Amino acid sequence: MRTLIFGAGNLILTDEGFGVHCINHLEENYVFPPEVELYDGGTLGIMVTHKIEEADRVILVDTVETAGNPGEVFRFEKEDIMLNRLPVKLSPHQIGIQEMLFISEMRGACPDRISLLGVIPSSLDPGSDLSPVLSECLPRVAGLIVDELRSLGHEVHARN
Amino acid sequence: MSKRITIDPITRIEGHLRIDVEVNGGQVAKAWSSAQMWRGIETILKGRDPQDAWSYAQRFCGVCTTVHAISSIRSVENALNVEVPLNAQYIRNIMIAQHSVQDHIVHFYHLSALDWVDIVSALKADPKKASSIAQSLSDWPGNSEKEFKAVQDKLKAFVASGQLGIFASGYWGHPAMKLPPEVNLIAVAHYLKALDYQRRASQAVAILGGKNPHVQNLVVGGVATAVNMENIATLNMERIAFLRTLMEETREFVQKVYYPDLVAIASFYKEWFKYGAGVTNYLAVPEFAEDTRNTKFGLPGGTIYGGDLGTFKAITTHQDAALIQGVTEGVAHAWYEGSDSLHPWEGETKPQYTDFQENGKYTWCKSPRYNGKPMQVGPPAQVMAAYATGHPKVKKLVDDAAAKLGIGPKELHSTMGRLFCRGVRAHVMADYSLEYLDKLVANIGKGDSTYANHTEIPDGEYKGVGFHEAPRGALSHWIVIEKKKIKNYQAVVPSTWNASPRDENGVAGPYEACLVGNPVAQPDKPLEVLRTIHSFDPCIACAVHTIDPAGKEITKVKVL
Repeated sequence: MRTLIFGAGNLILTDEGFGVHCINHLEENYVFPPEVELYDGGTLGIMVTHKIEEADRVILVDTVETAGNPGEVFRFEKEDIMLNRLPVKLSPHQIGIQEMLFISEMRGACPDRISLLGVIPSSLDPGSDLSPVLSECLPRVAGLIVDELRSLGHEVHARN
Repeated sequence: MSKRITIDPITRIEGHLRIDVEVNGGQVAKAWSSAQMWRGIETILKGRDPQDAWSYAQRFCGVCTTVHAISSIRSVENALNVEVPLNAQYIRNIMIAQHSVQDHIVHFYHLSALDWVDIVSALKADPKKASSIAQSLSDWPGNSEKEFKAVQDKLKAFVASGQLGIFASGYWGHPAMKLPPEVNLIAVAHYLKALDYQRRASQAVAILGGKNPHVQNLVVGGVATAVNMENIATLNMERIAFLRTLMEETREFVQKVYYPDLVAIASFYKEWFKYGAGVTNYLAVPEFAEDTRNTKFGLPGGTIYGGDLGTFKAITTHQDAALIQGVTEGVAHAWYEGSDSLHPWEGETKPQYTDFQENGKYTWCKSPRYNGKPMQVGPPAQVMAAYATGHPKVKKLVDDAAAKLGIGPKELHSTMGRLFCRGVRAHVMADYSLEYLDKLVANIGKGDSTYANHTEIPDGEYKGVGFHEAPRGALSHWIVIEKKKIKNYQAVVPSTWNASPRDENGVAGPYEACLVGNPVAQPDKPLEVLRTIHSFDPCIACAVHTIDPAGKEITKVKVL
């Protein structure tokens, strides 16, 4: 089973880059088996649909703008997205993750298992580092992903 | 009586662009283009090592990552007068061309087609008839009745379950939609298929760049793509063969699907070759460096004024002094301090937000001007420059399609003309990709395996500019280096040229000018405005894409 960890975001807008920081953090701190791919998807949306389609299981990491405090983590599953259980479109862009998955579904190529881990940002100002709140939150989210990968049967080891 | 319409945001992809139009008697009388997000990300480059600039700069935009990397690395090389080995130029050229192909395919199908294609109408199509129409356009093997029937069935199931998803924001049944159901079905089927081919282009960039998005293989003075035909760890014969296959398949899609679809759709919307000209001054920079000093190029650049190809003046090198001195950016109507027009090396980015003041400051976008004049940049500029110089490939594509559609080069100054020029450019880019691959192999075959000139950043002060003709048009990164660090950095991006607000003389930018005179049949469904603005592939380069499940309405059309 091929599992893709897809980090979305922009590295030069502080917390906006959370998904990518998360990928970097995982690479620096853990060793993954070949069937797990860590992917810095940047902000490409539809132009990287194929990465999603090539996997059997996808965990997306991104920021979410919703009521709550910076650092709070939310989790959505594929059906939340596909059945419009979220109140509105997921992205302020007209082609965001939700649309990407719809197109993929229409192509008959969308994996069944997709989860989205979203964290509330504290800052979206220009800057290449995470805010203190999200820096603190990073190992926790990475830990959630590692636990999930292990429960799926992937052998993930801490890097010494 | 005049009506005011605000569309916010108007883009289908990155960026937060707001367009306001005043409609009078069914036509746009005035328009305002407003970037709704602060674009001051250059500030984070100040104080950093110039060797790293490209790596940060490619995060300027969420979509065109490669183009900012190229422009940025060229700015440092220009500042330090560094030569770039031929192998590195060819490798960069292939990445540039493949990135363009990917960008144009996605623009046509996923970002603009839904302005012209009525998805719901495709449900009524006869798949057999659709297949015979598609087969009359080209001999592409994917156009069988079975394929079209399968897509239609899938579409029916989606509509039945109430999940129109991506298509839900379209203007179905709008009186300005004119394609027959079969052509709509063909377009929907190719919309879904197009993703497979943009993927191949993306893979090609990744093979050379090490990674896509965000290539990893640039260094000041060349590329870090080691070339050794015998070594499995480098760019070798096996990789080159794979690259060639990917690029040939994508080229076939462009030649046999994208381009014929574009011409077929345009033939039903010929009136759109009359609307949306706007600013008919054009600026393109030469692209595809073919020597080590950026003085010889595969595609020409130049300026055209007032839509008259007779005024064409070539720009032959990236060191062109008139080009370098001619660019300024004004802030008279933008949310920045002051009202002066500054050269990018002296450029400042000091935010001063007011609200939307239609006669005052109303956007985060500056006003780039060339010798004081607004310029339209993008595929039409490059295609017209190539046409003016008699570039055989471009001339043939323009003349052949013109004969088919009954238009002349003058009709390229229009909404449909912009879409058409993008299609021409995609064609040319797909061809150039393979040409530069051949040149790369031939050059390596001659025994040249150099791919970078090692460069140390010297002490002292240096200024440079990196020009690049990107998918959306002329891009330039301007750098000032002092004591081995970046002292100032400004990116003048294609969308800033095109989305420019009025300047200090009150002269409108291309988005604003191109809407004036356009028809608007239904003010609450301003499809015509979307068509014209989307023809530029608007993208205001900020790349914030925070997910917002909280419940506010995302796209608003407000009619006052």
